[in-house]
Amino acid sequence: MLPAILASGLAMGSIYAMMGVVYNVMFSASRVMSFTTGQLGMLGGVLGAAFVGILGLPAIVGLVLTLACCALVGIVTEVVAVRPVLDKLDQHLYVLSTLALALMIQQFVAIEWSTEPQPFPQLIGFGGGGPTDEKFWLPVLACAVTVVGLELLFRHTLVGRAFLAISEDNYAARALGLPERRLRMASYALAGMIGGLAGFASGQLLLAFFANGPYLNFYGFVPVALGGLGNNRGAIISGLLLGLVQQAAHFTFGGVFTSVAVFAVFIVALLAAPQGLFGQPKQRRV
Amino acid sequence: MNHTASTPRPAAAPALGHTLLKLIPYAAILAVALVLPFIANDYWVLIATRAAIYWVLVSALNLVVGFAGQLAIGWVALLTLGAYTTSVLTAGTVLPPMPLLVAFAAAAVVGALAGLLVGLPALRLRTFYFAMTTLGFATITTQIALAWQDVTGGGIGIPGPWLPSPFDNALGFYLLCLGLAAVLTWMTANVARSRFGRGLVAIRDAEVAAEVSGISKPALLVAVFLFSGAAAGVAGGLFATLQSYISPEAFTFDLSVLFFIAILIGGRGSILGPLIATIVLTWLPEFAAPLVVWSTFLYALLLLVIVLAVPGGIAAMLDFGSRRPLARDRAVVPREELLGALFTERPASSAIVLKDVVLSFGAVRAIDGLDLTIDPGEVHGLIGPNGSGKTTTLNVICGFYKPDTGTVRVGDDVLKPGEPQHRAEVGIARTFQTPRLIGESTVLENVMVGGDTSGRATFAEALLNLPRNHADEVMLRERADLALRIVGLEALAGVRADRLQHSELRFMEIARALMLQPRFLLLDEPAAGLSGDEIARLGSLIESVSRHGVGVLLVEHHADLIFKICHHVTVLDLGRVLADGTPDEVRTHEDVVSAYLGG
Amino acid sequence: MRITRRGFTLGAASLAASTTLARPALAQSEPIRVGWLAALTGPSSAPAIGFDRGVHYATDAINAAGGVNGRQIELVVRDTQGDPTKAVNAAQEMISRARVHAIWGPTNSGESLATTPIMARAGVPNVHPCFVDALIDTKRYPNAFRMAPSNTQIDNAVGDYGVKILGKKKFAVIGDTTGYGTTTVKSSSAAFEARDSEVVYAGTIEQTQPDVTSDMLRMKNAGAEAIAIWTVSPGLISRILNTRANLDWDVPVIGHPAMGSGEVGRLVDKPENWSNAYILGFRNTSYGDDGKLPDHVQAFVDKIKSEIDLDDTTLWWILDGVDSINIIADAVRETGTTDPKDIIGYWNAQADYPGLFASYTFSPDQHNGLSPEDLVMSEANSQKYGAYKLAPGYE
Repeated sequence: MLPAILASGLAMGSIYAMMGVVYNVMFSASRVMSFTTGQLGMLGGVLGAAFVGILGLPAIVGLVLTLACCALVGIVTEVVAVRPVLDKLDQHLYVLSTLALALMIQQFVAIEWSTEPQPFPQLIGFGGGGPTDEKFWLPVLACAVTVVGLELLFRHTLVGRAFLAISEDNYAARALGLPERRLRMASYALAGMIGGLAGFASGQLLLAFFANGPYLNFYGFVPVALGGLGNNRGAIISGLLLGLVQQAAHFTFGGVFTSVAVFAVFIVALLAAPQGLFGQPKQRRV
Repeated sequence: MNHTASTPRPAAAPALGHTLLKLIPYAAILAVALVLPFIANDYWVLIATRAAIYWVLVSALNLVVGFAGQLAIGWVALLTLGAYTTSVLTAGTVLPPMPLLVAFAAAAVVGALAGLLVGLPALRLRTFYFAMTTLGFATITTQIALAWQDVTGGGIGIPGPWLPSPFDNALGFYLLCLGLAAVLTWMTANVARSRFGRGLVAIRDAEVAAEVSGISKPALLVAVFLFSGAAAGVAGGLFATLQSYISPEAFTFDLSVLFFIAILIGGRGSILGPLIATIVLTWLPEFAAPLVVWSTFLYALLLLVIVLAVPGGIAAMLDFGSRRPLARDRAVVPREELLGALFTERPASSAIVLKDVVLSFGAVRAIDGLDLTIDPGEVHGLIGPNGSGKTTTLNVICGFYKPDTGTVRVGDDVLKPGEPQHRAEVGIARTFQTPRLIGESTVLENVMVGGDTSGRATFAEALLNLPRNHADEVMLRERADLALRIVGLEALAGVRADRLQHSELRFMEIARALMLQPRFLLLDEPAAGLSGDEIARLGSLIESVSRHGVGVLLVEHHADLIFKICHHVTVLDLGRVLADGTPDEVRTHEDVVSAYLGG
Repeated sequence: MRITRRGFTLGAASLAASTTLARPALAQSEPIRVGWLAALTGPSSAPAIGFDRGVHYATDAINAAGGVNGRQIELVVRDTQGDPTKAVNAAQEMISRARVHAIWGPTNSGESLATTPIMARAGVPNVHPCFVDALIDTKRYPNAFRMAPSNTQIDNAVGDYGVKILGKKKFAVIGDTTGYGTTTVKSSSAAFEARDSEVVYAGTIEQTQPDVTSDMLRMKNAGAEAIAIWTVSPGLISRILNTRANLDWDVPVIGHPAMGSGEVGRLVDKPENWSNAYILGFRNTSYGDDGKLPDHVQAFVDKIKSEIDLDDTTLWWILDGVDSINIIADAVRETGTTDPKDIIGYWNAQADYPGLFASYTFSPDQHNGLSPEDLVMSEANSQKYGAYKLAPGYE
């Protein structure tokens, strides 16, 4: 039973970690946290099920199409719900605009897709349901791809360094002549793709279900809050830990009390360390 | 003088007609609500009852979301708690059955405590974090209701309370809910018009300004969270009565969205707007039954449109006054002679003394061993190049920064570092480099915020508009009127602050600082962006203020102004005192000439 | 719209016909308004969609045949989305504004619990298909009649099957975290224990929980010989069936009819994962080894097969929908009025009212229409035009 806990814990943890990275990528580019994060993961599953399961496209084609659609949703988020309120960051209008957009996406999927969870096809054919089933390892693989990909992007490409510069200091980056707006759109597209990848890879685990959005929103936010906003390493570590602890608790206690416990720990940890366990400098107020 | 003559309406005590005018929409809504049962069938009475119950919750939540700007999106959790508390207590499944009034009182208490519990994280967490925690709380509440079968009946639920005659029929119950809704409207309106309401809005839009005015964010938020929680608890009891049976699935997230969105569509800081929005959103799905599938989608779309296009919501659309053009060639003409009426007694004559203050940001020493004395009755200039530590010094005095070493004293009292909200008590007022305005409030309200510490009434007294609260309001209004006349802004008292020009905002901030009848006035670049004429008037106003015994610390770049009005000038460079003395001494100081004045 | 328009034209035709029967009074010629409180959209909409087909079929059939005593049936449909708040609004609207003569629905318990007192206050005749026992109370709700099994009947049927027919002694009882799941876990466990068997594991699982291996291992370790499962979520059901196969743990799974839905069939990894699973079913909607339903039901199915899509729903929902309209129509036809007291009186006098779904028996102090013999178990993976194969062990 330990392998079972490890497999499902790492799988769920990878998904949470990737959702955390989605929050971070959006935040770094715009200082905005978006409620559409979880919906991107949900869309990854629903679109994947539609492309591969219903239309019968090859898995790789389905993946590319899913990522493209999610990138588009990311860009739409930026254009519709983020850019118009960026100059009023201190009024926190982004919370409302992204919440509104997230609700619209979710309701649209509920009405046009289904309110019941739909199956997600097997991609590689490595099933069996045991701890070695692809449904557990695909999310882990996707998470690893994300980590390595981001590392390569940030360390070794000019665009990646421009991303980092913007996340350090928007104004300075703009003063240096970086195309801040285009980079921001690119970040949202990137966030969309990571979210879509997470949803696609976890489709067999979470199924193509319209209500996965809020679930991923909350459980993806926990690693961000614990790992520190904008801190991808913190998000990955906290996400994996959260997945393992949650699945272990499911095994030990089961039922509703696991989610109550996760929530309680989340609140207590946040109140004790509002900047996250991995720390983050305090911002100037005056 | 000629400018005041052109706008005859006095700032203080708005005319009775004006107040009545504002009451008309409420009276109209109440009249329609009272007539409704006699012209419509039970179905419409039911919908109206539902709207009234939702309003009991929304009106109080409005203080949290609309006024204090805390994004509590999971408030349905409190409705759930109230509904279960009343139902469980009247049914007597756990304890012996209790009288209805006790059950509703218990629901209010449970709601208040839960409101506090949900709300407390807001004191520490940023907006999005707080929104997430309320959301999580809502989920948890439903899950507990499901799991705790022995008490809540689990998923099957339990019957709601049954009210005795005369409330046991549709009409009686409707009138009860309507009455409560009216009382809640009155109460929240009382709070909104009191210093507490202005304080909440100040916390929302200009938190720093609220702190220096002595407004305690924790105390204020605790009060509104308790109140909103209690109202939601009572609303929950009424909801359970209306539904006659409650189960967890009745408390959907859609309902929470409705409460939250009603406030934002209605308009932050308004009462009428959210009231209209609550009625419309309750009624809309009934009107458009075929659209019921799309209702949440449409609410969300409406929210997006409102946020992007009309951030002020319905209230802003109804605010015709703010579209009237202001006079274009207006000038600010202070009247220092009125200062005597403000400073009726001379402030005590002790000085602010900074001793050996050191403050580092990382490796940078922003202040490096500073000694500074601000004497009462003097204008003390603080100059230096950018980054020399001027504003940082102000922030140390005001308690925003904790110095690494060193103390700030007033007389014998050491000011506690890191507690800006306690500076007003000792009579320290300030303005900011960038004016901290509460854009959606009027100039008068912006200024009244500055006198918050003079208020005597408690939050509860404000809720019920008891005499002490009324006295506070009259006193603050009179004083704000005086302060506005002193700085020459009385003609703009009723105008939204975000419509003012930059120079006018500088004077508005001074008026707000004067509300404190301060012993010390710290001004952070008050002349920036002012015209030559305005700078001259400002200088003369500052001098007059100091003549009333106020110690003024003036951070400025305009050397002319500094040397004209200051009794004492300190020059900072890299966090150290470069020179210190009378204007003449400093002006001729070698280092200053070479380093700063540039010959 | 479609319904009303047809209702109007046919109504005009039947008016002409009714003159020959010399039925004068105007009130007697107005349409019979039947309220249909349906959760047609939202997360728990599947049953209502099934009922809806039967309701419309029966209404159209009656109206096409000239109506009831010359009066057309007019459906007043409101979508409640499964939300008790919307259901309360809708019920009051039907009573006060649409002034319906009888109401069918709502279709799930949360809504029904909230609307039943309202309908009782108004005294409007009400038939519904909800399972919760508390909904039937002839003292408090003399107007409410059930045309479906009660939870107690279901628990007993499943308990009898597990203990007496399968011969198991140790049961694991699980449900989802919804109201229905948590409550039924409790009542179902009690039913097993009342039959001298042991419930070695009882718990709930969140519908969205992605992996149920840990829960299943706990059941297995507790020594369960059979699993009773109470959820309407195909996702959760399929996860349990898949995990059972993965653990090589071939115990029977018995429980809620949702386990037999086509969605579960699409969600299981392998078709064989779906076998050795038995769902609650009904005599009239179960076929035997010969593949035949009881004669009168088979005849009906053969007739409607081409008109109504049966494959994506459950037969009993459609039949119950048909029965609901018929029992309202017959009450009006036999008593000659739409007076609520007369309709209720007619229902109270029915013994073995011959419906398609079941034979309903009501009396003034007995409003549960079904008898225990109507409830049987069926094989979960045997769906054929919405009906199921009778589980092994029955006569």
